[in-house]
Amino acid sequence: MPPVINEESCIGCGKCADACQCDVYFGYVDGETAKVTYPEECWHCNACVFVCPVEGAVTLRIPLPMMVLYQEKGN
Amino acid sequence: MAITLKERLIETDVLIIGGGIAGLMSAIKAAGLGVKVVVAEKANTNFSGAGATGNDHFMCYIPEEHGPDVEPIIDEFQLGQQGGLRKRNFIRTWLLRSEEIIKLWDDWGIPMKHNGKYEFSGHAFPGQPIHHIHYAGKDQKSILTQQALKQGAEILNRVMCFDLITDQERVMGAIGINTRVDEMVIFKAKSVILSTGSVMRLYPASTTPSWMFNTRLSPTCVGDGRAMAYRAGAELVSMEIPILRCGPVYFARAGKGTWAGVLRDPDGKPVGPFVTEPDNKYGDPVVDVYQDVFMAYKDSGRGPVYMDCKGLSNDEMAYMVHWLRNEGNVALLDHLEAEGIDPRDKPVEFRSYHYELFPRGGVYYDETGKTSLEGLYAAGDEIFGGISGAAVFGWIAGEHAGHRAKETRIASMDVAKVNIEKIKAKIEAIRNRRVGATWKEANICLQQIMFDFTGEIRSETLLDAGLAALRRLKVKALDSLIAHNPHDLCRSLEVLNLLDVGELVFITARERKETRGKHKRPDYPFTNPQMAKMIVVKRVNGEPVLEWRSLKD
Repeated sequence: MPPVINEESCIGCGKCADACQCDVYFGYVDGETAKVTYPEECWHCNACVFVCPVEGAVTLRIPLPMMVLYQEKGN
Repeated sequence: MAITLKERLIETDVLIIGGGIAGLMSAIKAAGLGVKVVVAEKANTNFSGAGATGNDHFMCYIPEEHGPDVEPIIDEFQLGQQGGLRKRNFIRTWLLRSEEIIKLWDDWGIPMKHNGKYEFSGHAFPGQPIHHIHYAGKDQKSILTQQALKQGAEILNRVMCFDLITDQERVMGAIGINTRVDEMVIFKAKSVILSTGSVMRLYPASTTPSWMFNTRLSPTCVGDGRAMAYRAGAELVSMEIPILRCGPVYFARAGKGTWAGVLRDPDGKPVGPFVTEPDNKYGDPVVDVYQDVFMAYKDSGRGPVYMDCKGLSNDEMAYMVHWLRNEGNVALLDHLEAEGIDPRDKPVEFRSYHYELFPRGGVYYDETGKTSLEGLYAAGDEIFGGISGAAVFGWIAGEHAGHRAKETRIASMDVAKVNIEKIKAKIEAIRNRRVGATWKEANICLQQIMFDFTGEIRSETLLDAGLAALRRLKVKALDSLIAHNPHDLCRSLEVLNLLDVGELVFITARERKETRGKHKRPDYPFTNPQMAKMIVVKRVNGEPVLEWRSLKD
């Protein structure tokens, strides 16, 4: 469930926790790797991805109930 | 050990509750007048509210483009998706002040022009004047935040205000909590501006009732302003008229506005009469006038309906994606890319967000931002008005609230003291209770009741039964809500606010004995021209009092 933190590349700057309007990172401790406390409260606004200084340290994973549906070509 | 909330007192000239587009515009204007301004923001103004990571349409009147007469643009506006609920004078003010705001935003670094000129697009019908421009709003919130700070406004992030302080005659401040530590914040102010946005989470989410935060607008905007204004005795209007929107199915943080395809049935036949080829200027406006098209196709065995972008050149596709990015839909675009969905080859299913029937109406404010209560102003989506409504009336409310603060002395809050103590006790009870209902439990229960009893179909008997159920839930919630930390406490207070807002939807929906738009009453199946008026509701001696009021100037 979104967002997903790459613990190896996260530098613990806390920008994602500061940006999140839904406060899904609630309980963040300064200097530590961000933890997603309330993943189901994500709005997918992407703010945490935008502010993260390390490419790929935060990504959004779209939960299955939100998958976009489409018509296959040739139908 | 029992948790007690620390108290913090803040005194200011102007208190702004909610730092979205409207609240920040109010802050910039009021602080520019030289008064002390504090913005209490539940999240972080750099990324909060419906405008969080961007928007791309701005409703406006530009005399150079539209001609010297604003009246035809008002007519056009009344036909569109936001029309019909506001007095003509109000819309005239909105349109006449819009160009000034566009120029300010452009100066501040929010690009309002595309390749050097205004790009008129969307929310209109081919052959008629377009009253929206595309703008590149992805950084709008941080730019407005910087402007507010530059003018000297103080921004308090992570403070949720949930109640106003009044002495029965005027508003004197507000009570909030810190959403991260156990602290109650009491504000004393000469003027208070409500700008808390829309009402999400009152009904089940968009197309995914099991996924509560998958809402079209911000799921943290839950009608806090409407609830606290009502409890303080302010007038609310049009709470019974719901909004229905559409967009990509299952991914709600989007909406249709920027998509440039044709809505087609599974055999490729357009479902509307307006466009037959993708059109970046108009999109497919069929859903602005026929929101039931998706359900109608489903129910008649012809569904689903797809947004088909076949025919867009690479440049045209890049153009559409550019605006979707500025609208903050990057997560959706990334998802489409990851799944290999090019909407030119794979038409994306669209649907009306038929669960999410949030009220268009809310805290009544006039063209100066004043509400019916002395000292209380409102702006933005306290009544639904979108981006330009928020920007224009945020600015205007800031101006009037600021001037009032200059002429007013700060009031003594002795009369409010007892009430503040009561509220504090209520909050501490929620924080200290060990067994009971989580906010989510109460929120889900409320959503069930709202959708089942005042949802797509409303009738006297349903509304009576639903209102009784909601009132039972309200008592239970007050007696049993638990919050293990300040975050859950914030959500619990949100649900208590939603319960009040929901009750007003029931009460006003029962009063409107006709069918109007998405307010569908099978017991009164036609639209009654005599009821083209607003229903006003306010609290008098603890009870809701209703009044019909003309929409004429």
